Amino acid sequence: MAKVLIAETSYLVRKGLVSLLGQTDGVTELKAAGHPDTIILTIKEFSPDILLLNSTIQLPVSHDELIARLHERARIIYIINTPLPEDSPAHQISVFDTKNKLTEKISHHLKQYESASEEKEDTEDLTPREKLILKHVALGFTNKEIATKLFISAHTVISHRKNITRKLDIKTVSGLTVYALINGIIKMEDIQ
Amino acid sequence: MHISPSMKMSDLVQSDFELLAVLQRLKIPFGFKDKSVKAVCEEQGIDLDFFLNLARWYHERDFFPGETLMNHPVKWLVKYLRSTHSCYIDYHIPRIEHEIIQMETVDQSEGHNMQLMLKFFREYISEFTSHIQLEEEQIFPYILNLEENLQRDQPDPGFLEKARGYTIRDFLEDHSDIEEKLVDLRNILLKYLAPPSDNCLFTNVLIEIFRLGNDLNDHTILEENVLIPQVIRLEEEFHKKFPRK
Repeated sequence: MAKVLIAETSYLVRKGLVSLLGQTDGVTELKAAGHPDTIILTIKEFSPDILLLNSTIQLPVSHDELIARLHERARIIYIINTPLPEDSPAHQISVFDTKNKLTEKISHHLKQYESASEEKEDTEDLTPREKLILKHVALGFTNKEIATKLFISAHTVISHRKNITRKLDIKTVSGLTVYALINGIIKMEDIQ
Repeated sequence: MHISPSMKMSDLVQSDFELLAVLQRLKIPFGFKDKSVKAVCEEQGIDLDFFLNLARWYHERDFFPGETLMNHPVKWLVKYLRSTHSCYIDYHIPRIEHEIIQMETVDQSEGHNMQLMLKFFREYISEFTSHIQLEEEQIFPYILNLEENLQRDQPDPGFLEKARGYTIRDFLEDHSDIEEKLVDLRNILLKYLAPPSDNCLFTNVLIEIFRLGNDLNDHTILEENVLIPQVIRLEEEFHKKFPRK
């Protein structure tokens, strides 16, 4: 199950890929964008698992920054405007590719993405350590204060917080506080 | 559907009622009879291309007409964004608040979860309101002044001084992510709360929050990808026309 973003300037190619991916198993959500700014915005809002990106698009961010903006398990497939040799790598598709070739390559990535997610699946619950960090965040402590209290580095606190946010899908401190209250990690009296 | 100037305005709305939001924000009144898109725009003094660009984007969601929208006077866009703001403040936000209050009254849960959600949402309202206040009271007036002074032979001395010490780029840096908390609210409701007894109400709150989230998203796209780049352009023209001596 993957969310796919098609980043392609050519209207015809974009529509073609939308139609192809619309009938491919494993694609849960599909978005398409053509303008570089819209692409960057969509990456931020949509957080795709697979990005199909035309290699000629000049994005307003560097390649490294693009990688940083995608989530850690996201994959990029490049769309190439020229024909590719028979033994081309799996992360490149050409606008000249046949339907079979395209389906084969895209399905390959969808499968790989899925198996990578399955391994992670059972760790989606918060670990006791993460719960402890969450408790302190909800109580209103800063990263630095939490680090001192728990005898760990501020860097470790930040990395725990990233994982908490990813697992729970909650970004803001007040959102995390609400979660902690609902789940009995902290009590109403604690924050009053 | 391709939106053309000659199609009937009523047909346009019938084929995609989400476009009602665009009509409302441009303050186009109903009672179209058989008038075409072009005729309605003319009657209301709305530039046809401006309308078509917005409507096509909302409808097709395909290619963002950033560059094209930038070629219209910035005051049109400001007017549009302003009516969007009042739509949020006067209607959408109070409505969601009201629905959460209603949920709270039927909430039987032990932890009084809805009370929490209400408190959370009210925090959001105050953040949201100050975000909008900043735009309404400072940013938009600056933009309108900039465009107006650029047309003059001699800019207003007070404004000239202000313009030399300020750029919209500073605003972009502070442009806070107003959607974040709303997304959190949505996720908490969707993933972590068992629905209270009135299910219909619960679903409706979620639908409204999704709608508002999507709409805010469009709003941010317009601000960050049309309004601000256009103002940066105007600022450049302004400093070229009225250089420091």
